[in-house]
Amino acid sequence: MTDYKFVVGSSPHLRTSENTPRLMFYVLQALFLVAVASTILFGVRAMAIIGVSVLAALAAEALWQKGLRQPVTVADGSAAITGLLIAFNMPPLVPLWVPALGSAFAVIVVKQFFGGLGHNFMNPAAAGRAFLVSAWPLAMTSGWLTPFDGATSATPLQVLGGSSGSLPEGWQMLMGWRAGCIGETSALVILIGGLYLIYRQVIDWKIPASFIGTVALFAWVFGGTDGWFTGDVLTHVLSGGLLLGAFFMATDYVTSPVTKRGRLIMGLGCGLLTALIRLWGGYPEGVTYAILLMNVATPLIDRMTIPRPFGTRQTKVTG
Amino acid sequence: MRNGFDGGVHPPHYKTHTEDVAIRSAREPEVVVIPLVQHLGAPCEATVKKGDVVDVGQVIGDASAFVSAPVHASVSGKVFKVEPRLHPALGKPVPAVIIESDGENRWHDSIEPRDAEDLTPEEIIRTMRTAGLVGLGGAAFPTAVKFSPPKDKPVDTFLLNGAECEPFLTADHRLMLEGTADILTGMRVMMRALGVTTGTICIEDNKPDALAAMEAACKDVPDIKVVSLKTRYPQGSEKQLIKSVLNRDVPPPPGLPMDVGVVVSNVSTAHALSRAFKTGMPLIERVVTVTGPAIAEPANLLVKIGTLFHQLIEECGGFEGNASRLIMGGPMMGIAQFSTDVPVIKGTSGILALGAEDEWDGEATACIKCGRCVDVCPMRLVPILISAYAEREWYEKAEQLYAADCLECGCCSFICPARRPLVQAIRMAKQHIMNQRRERQAAST
Amino acid sequence: MNLWRILTNGVVKENPVFRLLLGLCPLLAVTTALMNGFWMGVAVIFVLTSSNIIVSMLRKVIAPRIRIPCFIVIIATFVTIVQMTMNAYLPDMYEILGIFVPLIVVNCVILARAEAFASKNPVVSAAVDGIGMGLGFTIALMVLGGVREFFGTANLVINGQPLFDAPLFEPALIMIMPPGAFITMGVLLALLNVMVNRGRSGAGA
Repeated sequence: MTDYKFVVGSSPHLRTSENTPRLMFYVLQALFLVAVASTILFGVRAMAIIGVSVLAALAAEALWQKGLRQPVTVADGSAAITGLLIAFNMPPLVPLWVPALGSAFAVIVVKQFFGGLGHNFMNPAAAGRAFLVSAWPLAMTSGWLTPFDGATSATPLQVLGGSSGSLPEGWQMLMGWRAGCIGETSALVILIGGLYLIYRQVIDWKIPASFIGTVALFAWVFGGTDGWFTGDVLTHVLSGGLLLGAFFMATDYVTSPVTKRGRLIMGLGCGLLTALIRLWGGYPEGVTYAILLMNVATPLIDRMTIPRPFGTRQTKVTG
Repeated sequence: MRNGFDGGVHPPHYKTHTEDVAIRSAREPEVVVIPLVQHLGAPCEATVKKGDVVDVGQVIGDASAFVSAPVHASVSGKVFKVEPRLHPALGKPVPAVIIESDGENRWHDSIEPRDAEDLTPEEIIRTMRTAGLVGLGGAAFPTAVKFSPPKDKPVDTFLLNGAECEPFLTADHRLMLEGTADILTGMRVMMRALGVTTGTICIEDNKPDALAAMEAACKDVPDIKVVSLKTRYPQGSEKQLIKSVLNRDVPPPPGLPMDVGVVVSNVSTAHALSRAFKTGMPLIERVVTVTGPAIAEPANLLVKIGTLFHQLIEECGGFEGNASRLIMGGPMMGIAQFSTDVPVIKGTSGILALGAEDEWDGEATACIKCGRCVDVCPMRLVPILISAYAEREWYEKAEQLYAADCLECGCCSFICPARRPLVQAIRMAKQHIMNQRRERQAAST
Repeated sequence: MNLWRILTNGVVKENPVFRLLLGLCPLLAVTTALMNGFWMGVAVIFVLTSSNIIVSMLRKVIAPRIRIPCFIVIIATFVTIVQMTMNAYLPDMYEILGIFVPLIVVNCVILARAEAFASKNPVVSAAVDGIGMGLGFTIALMVLGGVREFFGTANLVINGQPLFDAPLFEPALIMIMPPGAFITMGVLLALLNVMVNRGRSGAGA
C-alpha cells in the first residue's frame, strides 16, 4: 500500500475534455462547410485557392517553428483556420501566389513574430487580407465572377457604391449566387456554420449579433439614397464579408475581449466602423479594417469592462 | 429565482459509483490518529497524555478560544502517544492523539441522551460546542460560532445545504435518504438556536430520490420547505446557494452569510447535531464516500474520526489499476494526498482515487484568451488577468482585480482549454495578498 | 580616444537607427527608394559633421543653461545651407525629400550627438563622430530604402537608371507605402537583435 506514488497537485483535479485543438477542430468543421459551398459556387478555382492558402499557412508555421527550434504546433489547427479565412477573402480570379503570400505573411509576421498562438494582437487572417489589399490592390479588388456561369461582374457593394451592374435578388444573395470573394458569398452556409459554433459554445453570440445588428441599423438609417430610414438592409447584411467577418474573424479568441460587456462593445465597434467605411469611406468594404481596429482596442476594452465581483452590489435584505 | 448565480460549470457527475450504495459502518479501527486541529480556528491542547485510558466520546483536546471546537476519542483504549502526525488538509505533521483501541467501545460516563425540545438557544449552542461540531461540508468552521451571530446582524433565514455539487461525492445524498428524520430533527434544533421560523432544504436536481424523500418527510411541516436547484457547480458554495435560493448577494470577504441575514449549514452537520442530542455522543464519526475509478469497490462508509485512509481503501477492495492521485474531498476542491497514512478528520467528505490512464490533467499550453474562465467564474472575476499577474508576481495588480474574493472553486481551471493552472496561480496571489493585509494590520495596531 | 573606434562606433555599435532608434521620423518617411535614402544620408552627414565641429569648438563658450537653443541655431544654419544647395543642384531630389530636408533641424540624431558627444569632446573627435554617426544613419536609410524599393517596385533605380529592364515580379505596393516602412523596420530590427543575441550567447558558451 505504501509503495504507491501519488501525483500531488493543487485542485481542481478534474478538467473538461475540451482543449484548444478540439475548439479549433469545431471551427474547422464550420469553415469546411463554407469551403464546400464556395467550391460548389466557384468550382475548381476556389478549391485551388483554398488548397494553396491552407498549405502555405501550415508550411509557414512549420518552417518558422522548425527554424527557431520551437515545438511545431501545426496540429492545433489555428494555422489551418488562418489559411482558410485568407482563402475565403480572395476574388475567384486571383493569381494563386497571392493567397500563398498572404497566408505566409499572416502566420509569420502577424502571429509568430509576436510569439505565436495567443500572443498576436491582430487577427492574422484579417491582417493578412489587409496586407494583400495594400500590396496588390488590383489583384485583390478585381476578378469578380458570378457563380456557375463564370461571367465577370461587379460585387453588390460596388454596385451600391456606384459601379454599373444590377443587384442580385435577396434569395440569390442568401444562397451565394452573387459576385464576391469565394468564401463570403454563401450567406446561408456561413450562418449555419456560425450557429453551429454558437451551439457548440465555441464562440459567443454577442460579437456577431451586435456586429451585424449595428451594420444593419446604420445601413437602414443612413444607407438609403432618398433620405433617412430607406437603406437596403438586406443587401448590406448579406453582401461583402460581413457575415464571414462577424462569425469567424471578429470572434477570434485571441484578439477579442474576454469580458461579456467587452464583447458587446467589440461587436458594436466593428459594426460602427464597418458602416462608416462602407457608407462614407473610400473603400466599398470595411469589415477587415473594422475588425483590425477593434482588435487593437481589445486590451483597452478588457481593462475598462472588468466586471464588479459578486457581492459588491448590496441587495436589499428583505424579511 | 432558482438559478441566479453567474457562471459555474457542469463537470460530469461520476456519482453512479456510489449513489445507490447504502451507508455501512467501516470496520472498527485498531488505531486511530486524531489530529488536534480539525477545524478553522485555534488549535486544541491535548487534555490526555501517553498511557491514559480513554473512553468513546471523552474529550481529548480542547481550547479556550471562541473560534475552536474540542476533539473527542472515537474509540476506547489507551493513548499510545501524543505526537505530530501527517495531516490530510494541512499537508504537514500537526500534533495528534494516537489511541490504540481495546475493542470494547466503552462509552464515556458523560454520554447521555438529552432532549432538545425545552432547551434555550444558548444551551443548544453550548451543546454544539461541547459536541465538537464543525461544518461537515468540508470547510470545518466551528458550528457553535456560526450559530452565534452578533446582535447587530439579525438572522431571518436558515438554509440546509444538500446540494453536494462536487462530482463523485454521495455521502450527503445517502444521508438524506437514510437519515431523513435525523436531518429534520437537527434542522429544527438549528432553527431554534437561531430563533428563525422558516427554513429551506436545498438539493440539486440530480438527486431526485433525495428530493422526494425530503419532500415526503416535510409534507406536514409548514415551516420547512424543500427546493430543487439546477445542477451546476459550485451550487453548494454558501454564497452561490444564497444567491440561487434567496437572490441575496453576500458581500466579499470578510462578508459572511449572516451579513445578509442567512445561516447555511450542511445536511451532515444537522444529522450530527441530531445524534448529539439523541445519543449524547459528540462528533466521533461521519459518512465518507470512498470512490473513484481507481477504487475497486466504491462505497459510502460510516467512519470513526481518526481512521487511517489505507484501512478504508483496503475495505473498499484496495486500488484497482494504477492509482495516480489520492484526494481528500471532491475532485474540484479536494486536497491531494501523497500518503495513505493520513487519518479521516471531521471535514473528510470523501476519499477519491483517480487512475493514471484517465487524463485528468494535461500540459499547459499557451493561453488563447478564449475568456471561458471569465464566463464561468461564479464570483464574476477575471481569472485570465489575475492569474497572468500572479504568474508575474504583480500581486498589487491582482489585488486590484479582486483576487482576494476568489472562492477557489476551480471552475476556471476546469474549463480552461489550454489547461492552464489558473486557480492555482490565483490561490498563490490570494495567499500573498492575505499575508500582506495581515502585516499591514499588525503594523497599524 | 581612438578615432577609428569613434568612427565604427557610429556605424555599428551605436548605429543611430538600429541601436539607438533615433531619427526615425525622416527614416520612415523618405525611405521609399534607395537613392532617396542616399541623398538624405549625405545631407545628414554634412549637417551632423559640421554642427558637431562648431558645437565642439564653442563648447566652452556656450552657457550650459542655453545650450539647446544654441545647438539649434548652429544646426539650422547648416540645414539651410544644405537646403539651398540641394534646391540649386538636385532639384528633383529636393522635390522628393520635400519637408524632410528642413526638418533635419529637429532630427534627434543631430541634437543628440551635439548634446551627448560634441559638447564634451575635442574638435577632431567630434568631427569623426559626426562622420561615423552620419554614415551609420546613411547606411540604415539605404538598406531600408533599398529593401522597400526592391519589393515595392520590383526594381532598383540607381542614379536615375533602373537596374532591371522590367519589374522582376508583381510589386507589393504596400512596401513603398507607410506601413511598409514599419514592417521593414520591425523585421530588420528583429533580425539584427537575433544576430546580436546569437553572437552574445555563442561567445558566452
